Amino acid sequence: MMALLVITSLAWLAFVKPEHDRQQAMADSGAISMVTSLQDQEQETREDTEHQFVQGLKQFWAFTGFRNATRGNLIMMVIGLIFIYLAIKYEYEPLLLIPIGTGILIGNIPFFTDGGTNLQVGIYQQGSVLNYLYFGVLKGVYPPLIFLGIGAMTDFSSLISNPRLLLLGAAAQVGIFTTFIGALLLGFAKPEAGAIGIIGGADGPTAIFLSSRLANGVNVLSDGTTVKNLIGPIAIAAYSYMALVPVIQPPIMRLLTTKKERLIRMKPPRAVTKTEKILFPIFGLLLTCFISPSALPLLGMLFFGNLLKESGVTKRLAETARTSLIDIVTIMIGLTVGASTQADVFLTKESVLIFGLGAAAFAVATFSGVGFAKIMNLFLPEGDKINPLIGNSGVSAVPDSARVSEMEGLKADKTNHLLMHAMGPNVAGVIGSAIAAGILLSYLG
Amino acid sequence: MNWIYLTEGAQALDQLTWTVVVVGIGIVFLSLLIVYWFFRYILTFILNFRLRNFARKKGMDPAEVQTVKTLQSGEVNAAIAMAIYQYFNELHDVESGVVTIKRISRHYSPWSSKLYNMKNL
Repeated sequence: MMALLVITSLAWLAFVKPEHDRQQAMADSGAISMVTSLQDQEQETREDTEHQFVQGLKQFWAFTGFRNATRGNLIMMVIGLIFIYLAIKYEYEPLLLIPIGTGILIGNIPFFTDGGTNLQVGIYQQGSVLNYLYFGVLKGVYPPLIFLGIGAMTDFSSLISNPRLLLLGAAAQVGIFTTFIGALLLGFAKPEAGAIGIIGGADGPTAIFLSSRLANGVNVLSDGTTVKNLIGPIAIAAYSYMALVPVIQPPIMRLLTTKKERLIRMKPPRAVTKTEKILFPIFGLLLTCFISPSALPLLGMLFFGNLLKESGVTKRLAETARTSLIDIVTIMIGLTVGASTQADVFLTKESVLIFGLGAAAFAVATFSGVGFAKIMNLFLPEGDKINPLIGNSGVSAVPDSARVSEMEGLKADKTNHLLMHAMGPNVAGVIGSAIAAGILLSYLG
Repeated sequence: MNWIYLTEGAQALDQLTWTVVVVGIGIVFLSLLIVYWFFRYILTFILNFRLRNFARKKGMDPAEVQTVKTLQSGEVNAAIAMAIYQYFNELHDVESGVVTIKRISRHYSPWSSKLYNMKNL
């Protein structure tokens, strides 16, 4: 037993131990080199990690708005903030200016577009949510829906009781055609000029409808060039000047009228029967659309909405059209039109010209409306004359321009209320501008 | 903007431009004139015709019915509507103003009477 133990020990010492030691030595030398290589790798990894971290930061920076911001974006954002300020502080068309102002902010937040990258974020990028919503503007879907709501909330009684006020609504549309000439003189192509001219109608949905058909950046002109996309500038100009109606119109109205004319009292409107109210949208639709079928999407919806209201048997539909529906569409149209004013598209020489032409259009429309009321007075008997202060209401900024007539009337005589009378040409202006849009579309579309 | 720019633009004012302007303004006026004529004359005629028939059936003077039915001022209707509205909505304002406190007579109820319960024990 003892001998066996000794032999085993000797064998272990003779064969196993040296091999073990050899392996240990090899292992030790390998470990050292491995440690060295591991250290190198660690060093490399650390450097890689640091590199990747820096790369990641750089990439993050490249995708932030700060890196992609341009001066144009910042200018547009200031404009958006001014819109929001005007809406909240002075309550200038807040239902429009808040969505448009916010839309301008959204549309001008800069993002990564290098090498034509499509992050599906911007309004002009295929597949983005904003792009889908913008479809309603681009294809002219929203404006007729807005007209449906307007029809369902408009009372045509003052117009029916005194139909001659329709002519004031027609007279104010002269502004559209003079602006059309002005735009041509400034070098715009005919379809673009037509779309710009409609700003004179002072009707946002009509302006969007027409510009989406005539100046959409898609149509090709006879000389092979593509029309410019002017939807954003035209819509913004139209809505801005609509909001500024209380500022633009009064000086022109005071300039064109005498103190005596401002004191004219108009006969109170007669009571209008229900039958007349029901017949107005039906015959209004038939008579106007037979003459100008291109205005059908707008006028059809306007009179349809009004029939829902006046028929008395579709109260739920009328209620929806004048509340929920028009509110939803207003949100969509305001936000997307605002967002469409990306600096690279909006801040151009054309936009500046459009704003100048828009101001002129409003001035001419007010001038022609008030002037035509004075001309009508030359032929009307004493006691049945029109107060020319309601002439400005022919521009269809409902009901702001009628409110301006009321305010100016009260300044001349605190007991002379013109609001009811002014609503006549005001709603006639809506019809007139839609007809004018139809005519421009049929010639230039 | 300069004069050369305007001159170039002026060349764009061709025949089509003037056609669009003249026809455009003309059609806007014509459309609204037709609506004006319709509602001023044709519809008034139809409604008057109906009123005359109505008056004839009732044996009344057509002119009187017309005055009452169509030529009435909206202000008169507004005043009537306001009066009716006030009558129905402010009826509670027409009260005697006398505040009374009525004694509530209670009949005896034995539901919690101790004596009654004692007797039932």
